[in-house]
Amino acid sequence: MKLSALQQSYLGRRSNSFRSSGPLDSSSDGAFKSPAAVFWLVLHGLSCLISLLLGFRFSRLVFLLLSTSSTYTSPFHSPTELAKTLDIRSVIPADPVGNVPLPFPNKTATNSRVVVGRHGIRIRPWPHPNPVEVMKAHRIIERVQTEQRLQFGVKDPRKIIVVTPTYVRTFQSLHLTGVMHSLMLVPYDLVWIVVEAGGVSNETASLIAKSGLRTIHVGFSQRMPNSWDERHKLETKMRLRGLRIVREKILDGIVIFADDSNMHSMELFDEIQNVKWFGAVSVGILANSANIDEMVVEKRGEEENPRMPVQGPACNVSNMLAGWHTFNTLPFAGKSAVYIDDRATVLPRKLEWSGFVLNSRLLWKDGDKPEWMKDIDTLDGDIESPLDLVKDPSVVEPLGSCGRRVLLWWLRVEARADSKFPPRWIIDPPLEITVPSKLTPWPDTPPELPSHEKPVIGIQEPIVKHTTKTRTSRSKRRSKRKHDETRTDRRTTGFDKTLQN
Amino acid sequence: MRKWFWSFLFIAFGFVCSIAAERNPRTERISGSAGDVLEDDPVGRLKVYVYELPSKYNKKILQKDPRCLSHMFAAEIYMHRFLLSSPVRTLNPEEADWFYTPIYATCDLTPTGLPLPFKSPRMVRSAIQLISSSWPYWNRTEGADHFFVVPHDFGACFHYQEEKAIERGILPILQRATLVQTFGQRNHVCLNEGSITIPPYAPPQKMQARQIPLDTPRSIFVYFRGLFYDVNNDPEGGYYARGARAAVWENFKNNPLFDISTEHPTTYYEDMQRAIFCLCPLGWAPWSPRLVEAVVFGCIPVIIADDIVLPFADAIPWEEIGVFVAEEDVPKLDTILTSIPPEVILRKQRLLANPSMKRAMLFPQPALPGDAFHQILNGLARKLPHQKRIYLKPGEKILNWTAGPVGDLKPW
Amino acid sequence: MGSAERTKKKVQLWKKAIVHFSLCFVMGFFTGFAPTGKDSIFSSPAVAPHNKSHISQPPVNQSVTPAVHSSNVNRSLRAETPVPVPVPAKSNELESPKQVDGTVVHEVKLPSRRLVIVVTPTSTKDQFQGVFLRRLANTIRLVPQPLLWIVVEGQSDSNELSEILRKTGIMYRHLVFKENFTDPEAELNHQRNVALKHIEQHKLSGIVHFAGLSNVYDLDFFKELRQIEVFGTWPMALLSANERRVVIEGPVCDSSQVIGWHLRKMNNRTDAETDADTKPPIHISSFAFNSSILWDPERWGRLTSVQGTSQNSLKFVKQIVMEDEGELKGIPPEECSKIMLWRLHFPIGVVPRN
Repeated sequence: MKLSALQQSYLGRRSNSFRSSGPLDSSSDGAFKSPAAVFWLVLHGLSCLISLLLGFRFSRLVFLLLSTSSTYTSPFHSPTELAKTLDIRSVIPADPVGNVPLPFPNKTATNSRVVVGRHGIRIRPWPHPNPVEVMKAHRIIERVQTEQRLQFGVKDPRKIIVVTPTYVRTFQSLHLTGVMHSLMLVPYDLVWIVVEAGGVSNETASLIAKSGLRTIHVGFSQRMPNSWDERHKLETKMRLRGLRIVREKILDGIVIFADDSNMHSMELFDEIQNVKWFGAVSVGILANSANIDEMVVEKRGEEENPRMPVQGPACNVSNMLAGWHTFNTLPFAGKSAVYIDDRATVLPRKLEWSGFVLNSRLLWKDGDKPEWMKDIDTLDGDIESPLDLVKDPSVVEPLGSCGRRVLLWWLRVEARADSKFPPRWIIDPPLEITVPSKLTPWPDTPPELPSHEKPVIGIQEPIVKHTTKTRTSRSKRRSKRKHDETRTDRRTTGFDKTLQN
Repeated sequence: MRKWFWSFLFIAFGFVCSIAAERNPRTERISGSAGDVLEDDPVGRLKVYVYELPSKYNKKILQKDPRCLSHMFAAEIYMHRFLLSSPVRTLNPEEADWFYTPIYATCDLTPTGLPLPFKSPRMVRSAIQLISSSWPYWNRTEGADHFFVVPHDFGACFHYQEEKAIERGILPILQRATLVQTFGQRNHVCLNEGSITIPPYAPPQKMQARQIPLDTPRSIFVYFRGLFYDVNNDPEGGYYARGARAAVWENFKNNPLFDISTEHPTTYYEDMQRAIFCLCPLGWAPWSPRLVEAVVFGCIPVIIADDIVLPFADAIPWEEIGVFVAEEDVPKLDTILTSIPPEVILRKQRLLANPSMKRAMLFPQPALPGDAFHQILNGLARKLPHQKRIYLKPGEKILNWTAGPVGDLKPW
Repeated sequence: MGSAERTKKKVQLWKKAIVHFSLCFVMGFFTGFAPTGKDSIFSSPAVAPHNKSHISQPPVNQSVTPAVHSSNVNRSLRAETPVPVPVPAKSNELESPKQVDGTVVHEVKLPSRRLVIVVTPTSTKDQFQGVFLRRLANTIRLVPQPLLWIVVEGQSDSNELSEILRKTGIMYRHLVFKENFTDPEAELNHQRNVALKHIEQHKLSGIVHFAGLSNVYDLDFFKELRQIEVFGTWPMALLSANERRVVIEGPVCDSSQVIGWHLRKMNNRTDAETDADTKPPIHISSFAFNSSILWDPERWGRLTSVQGTSQNSLKFVKQIVMEDEGELKGIPPEECSKIMLWRLHFPIGVVPRN
């Protein structure tokens, strides 16, 4: 209590000065004797403040003493649930701390400013989290991640050239957006060559413009045919068109074929940096509604999901290319889709283009490149896979732990060819109201409850009102439903058919 | 009069300053290359004689409860094993610089696996009685050239509750010995001048096996798993962790940047490796295994424990690799952490990535150069040569064998 | 005379001074019981402004002090709940950094955005979850910060999901629950509730959105999401393989005011089982809400909280939306006319047998 001593001496001094400066009435005529009075007022206030502090300190002391020497009766509410598990010392036999005799039984302990005993839980009064600090933290995280990439990531990364065939259709936005987002995340220099069947459209252009990537958008005069076989052929031609652009513009980097319906793991883009000339990666096949259990994948390896069929390079024990995993079409014999409208599984080709990457220098007219590469100008749409680009398939470098890691996936789902969708997905004219806003039907609670929707509504509104309202909506919906029925019909039956496969 | 006033203000100001100065963490690192672990090889610089004790002081105890091998106080066991085959061991006590008494004093676990050091004082006493009667070396210095590994919460105070520990003080007969302990807090009765503070034991193989690739992006800003309130032992809060952990929860549970919870996920080790900051607040004692985990997993330790004495503080640049936050500043933790310049953070991460930093925190089997065993030996070597005055005159007695609680004087 | 008068006056003065001092002392004494951020003002000259706020609330503290032993924590909790902030629902307080801390000077440089909390339930029964999770992660990774992704999963031996998440670099929380479910729909609901409980326990403040694995987003969607004050809803397109019709569902708006719904039953198969008159529900992915309704019901003019009504947070949210549909905002604000979210209807995990 250094302070109290100070205070006392100060008071002593003060009483001395009283005598010397004569009577003082600070409260009544303070304004009159201005300078001295103001000073005394200040002094008074100061000492008030000091006693306030003294009281404060004293109370902390009292608080400590009281809290350590009394038994507790107060309940402990909310944090009880949180503080259950974990800490290794929590299970120390319940010996109430109240039994502890004295907080400072030892001299040495009091020398330390660390006080044994109860402390206040400091809770700041200002609001939080501070949005500015949140942004700062995110910047730090970003910086750390960039540094990690620099330090542990690919050294001297090459440019990535992506070739994507596409065309305007119902599923385009869904598929292409997914691929676009993957490409936007690629931390390397990237060029995206988009070849569009049926010519360059605003629809596609506006979609890919959102990526902010460097894009080369070219049209392909032919329209996308309806037979899957024809499609594959046309897509091959479109990809070759993309490769010719690489050759014309002498783009230097690694060419990958990203179909708009592919899904990518970001590790793929690191992995393909390892390719020297011509590489192959495994592609996971998401076969729609197939009886996957019956499928036999020849070699399972360390795939992400053993049940998912994989196509790609197969290696022998010494990690040399030994052959290819192909998609087993046997279970689908006679059941696969021939036309886009068929309600059957769309099967991949024997080897999908997306499973191959190549050094763009292979495509250049000049420069030293291996002998085994065919000239793309001599090729037409009749090649089955990029494997036909090389004279000797053994030159292929298997990537991704020799094809064991699956880093991209193939999925082909399309709507029917005559499917319509609002242009650019802008709804115009507005949709018809099928349910008035006052009766918003919120998603259900777990369906195991018998009448799952009733309790929610029942609480809200008087029953009478409720029923009338539902009726109106119901009648409205009835008419709508009839209207819909014809259209829905096909859909439902089709659904069942697929399920019976 | 005015002068008085000013002088008063001046004194008050000085008072404030002195408090402020007291709070600045003192650094006591031996100069070494900046940011690196102090390089030192103990071999050839000291000789340790390991007393042959009956197995009831060590091996038998361990046989009774093999769980002792994996709890965070296991350093006492591994240190014994290490010394037995260490090149610093000497079989000739006459040439020894240090004497080591292998007692597993902490290996007395409750069914839930918590050590209760109630019998430890009697056991230590009994062991010392034995060595002092069988060998002449104890009586020569009354233990001043002996070291003991006492990894329990409050070291040689042998109690898990701080008040009780303080009340007991360091076991009287260990007053002159060098203590190797995890407990480290400045100006505390349970920390002797000259003690060596060591990291708690953390399973090295397990941690090694759970390493994830270094390029895994760090996406957690602040990470903590553990108790905020110890409801069982501190129902009211504010006593446990001096209120610091509770303050962390109350101030930052709603901050998405703070991934803090009481739930211990199966991915705990992996999550630490993708965090930038790992909170290491005090618990009942100022240290916790998180210190070791953070260093091993390259997560910048945010040390919230006023006046903590960190393990091997003379060899490890804690100020360079960690962030120190005063307990009273916990409410400002977010401001403190977000205002660290990214360059500083990256530097700390680089230093943490140094394998020698991680090694110094672990007790691997078999031992590796620069690991925690070697750091202990370095610490012992730095205390050499012994000062002449530690050797007692014939017949001189300093220690009081009958001091301390009556319970401790009973035979073991 | 002089001396008597003087002493009297002096005594009076002393009395006055002593009264003042003791008053101050008592005040300080009681202030000491407040759960302060500092244990003394002296030790922290830099943060004095914060301490003042403690001193300025002695009435509260004094009313508490009679129960000296009353839990420190409880009081702190009480003090901590943001009662004194009278928040009109429309206020932009989350976005304004000015009122936060005086020490922040260079706040102009960093744009502060509202937190987006994306909740994604996953299931190991879904054999393609890893693939779709990666696609969704690639999208979420591109969303400007701050964003918190809460991924909920049933307990399993597989660490596939943790590994995928770890590599994304997204700030996520991976919640695991122990309960077993046979009904996938019940599991989904449970998962959503687990996530909401996490938000509630942590009092996370942001806009909550449920993102299923088969969702694909236009990135502008998240910009719009941040504009939501209370509740938001939007149209969504459901695409199914080999279909002709594109199912578009969602609100019908007048500007951003929801005037009705365009919905149709999605689950055809249950048609026969359930009452034909039950309304088709709005898909869970087509609405978002401000998370504070979970943990700060008073702010929303409600007395009950989630614990008060039921353990089903999801139900609670819906209930509140129903009561106050006026707060429902359609996005994008231009007549809700742009689809920014597509859902792929892909019979995942359905392995038909002959």
